[in-house]
Amino acid sequence: MEPALETIGLFKRFGGLLATNDVSLSVERGEIRGLIGPNGAGKTTLVNLVTGVHAPDAGEVKLGGQSLRGRGMHEIARLGLVRSFQVTRLFGNMTVRENLMTSFLARRDKGESDGAGQTEGMIALTKLGPLADTQAKKLSGGQRALLQMACGFVVPANCYVLDEPFAGINPVIKDAIIDMILDVNRRHRATFLVVSHEMAIIRRLCQQVTVMMEGRVAAQGTLDEVARLPEVIAGYLGKALE
Amino acid sequence: MFSTELVVQTVISGVMIGVLYALMALGITFIYSIMRMINWAMGEFYMIGSYLQYALVALLLGPDLWWLAIPISAAGVFAFGLVVQWSLLKPIFRKPPEARDDYATVVTLALLLLLRSLATGLAGPNQFSPGSNLPVVMVGPMPLAGARVAAFVFALAALALFYCLLRYSWYGLALRATSQSRIGVQTAGIDVQGVDRIAFGVGVALAGLAGALLAPVFLVYPTNGLITTVKGFEIVVIGGLGSIPGALIAGVLLGLIESLGAAFIDSAYQNIYGFALVLLILVLRPTGLFGERGREA
Repeated sequence: MEPALETIGLFKRFGGLLATNDVSLSVERGEIRGLIGPNGAGKTTLVNLVTGVHAPDAGEVKLGGQSLRGRGMHEIARLGLVRSFQVTRLFGNMTVRENLMTSFLARRDKGESDGAGQTEGMIALTKLGPLADTQAKKLSGGQRALLQMACGFVVPANCYVLDEPFAGINPVIKDAIIDMILDVNRRHRATFLVVSHEMAIIRRLCQQVTVMMEGRVAAQGTLDEVARLPEVIAGYLGKALE
Repeated sequence: MFSTELVVQTVISGVMIGVLYALMALGITFIYSIMRMINWAMGEFYMIGSYLQYALVALLLGPDLWWLAIPISAAGVFAFGLVVQWSLLKPIFRKPPEARDDYATVVTLALLLLLRSLATGLAGPNQFSPGSNLPVVMVGPMPLAGARVAAFVFALAALALFYCLLRYSWYGLALRATSQSRIGVQTAGIDVQGVDRIAFGVGVALAGLAGALLAPVFLVYPTNGLITTVKGFEIVVIGGLGSIPGALIAGVLLGLIESLGAAFIDSAYQNIYGFALVLLILVLRPTGLFGERGREA
């Protein structure tokens, strides 16, 4: 069977910096893959290449066996790949409910439901009810992160690419996001690529992790396996993971 | 000399012209809020709207069907806007964002010169008037020119329609989302180029509508868009760039100030009063009445 998400020899250069250098990885359907590595290792560049923000200089990305070459961000999103951003990309002047409803914009063209029911369900699930008619820019950082996740999960996708979904968030909201990931993963066999520095959460979510260093894939395996590798320890400036 | 009647009449005519100015400003601010670029050729779309209106009334439909000519003129400008976005602006948006403003400025300024020259070349430097056989309307004891009243009513209807579509339709949701985050809306599966095309068409159609409505009042000639464009930009500065309520309120405010200044100070300086207000706003509140200080890309 084709992997759900596959990158083949991705190269991307920004001026003098080779941000990704021959990155190949393959994630099976229903897998939650962790993507870790020191700052500047090329994780966010990889995420941007996968989701169509940047076009690779060489190599290609496949989603469910289908090449994404030449497709724009919105086309990739319509193929069922949802991403979250390190800095939340919410619609600040719109309410929480309106933010959730934007997730159905692409669906509506296909004549599917207008999402009113799912939107209210997601508001209840995330306990954002009292804030449903509040503008997104007035939410706290954690609430914004939660809302961004909710926007991604309200329409179930095949594949999620989450860039630092847990950074700077209080433990209660962290748990809520973890539960949402596990729930969508279990019910829809959705595939995840999760970038995070939080090893405890990666250990809880991911069977396999991919380690990136200086633009390359440095290692792959369980978190405990990769944490023992000397090159990984060296890449983290001699510090053991965690 | 400061009779109540004169004050009321001045206020009414100020509000009426202000709403027409607001159409123009709304077009500028709407295109900016979606595409993050200023369309410097806005007045030329106004000019095209006025020529279309004149051609339809004088050559095709006749003066009795002026009301039918108005939506047709606006639709014609909308269609032309779609072509301009597709042919001239879309290629700019493939470039990295830093260069966009510069390219858009050059392209729309070139378009301004091209369209003005074309109008002069095709129809000569003459002034045309589609005329108006609308009767004078009496509001209480005060007579108001029929063409101005009609323009006001049409403009109000267009503003109401624009607001409702933006606020309550799905496409309106996509437009509002695009104005907040172009990246975010693509993540939701929306083609921003398509949104740009519609937004540009709608924005210039608002100018074209103003041109068609004001054709009998301010006449039809190659540079007739200049004054209303300047007013449009004044309003955008007063109301705040990117703010739709700002455009409406500042439009009416500018109309009022010009009208009151002309009636009670000196009508020779009618165009100065607006600039005085602009200067005042820039000193007191540089972002405009409803503008935001910096936005996310």
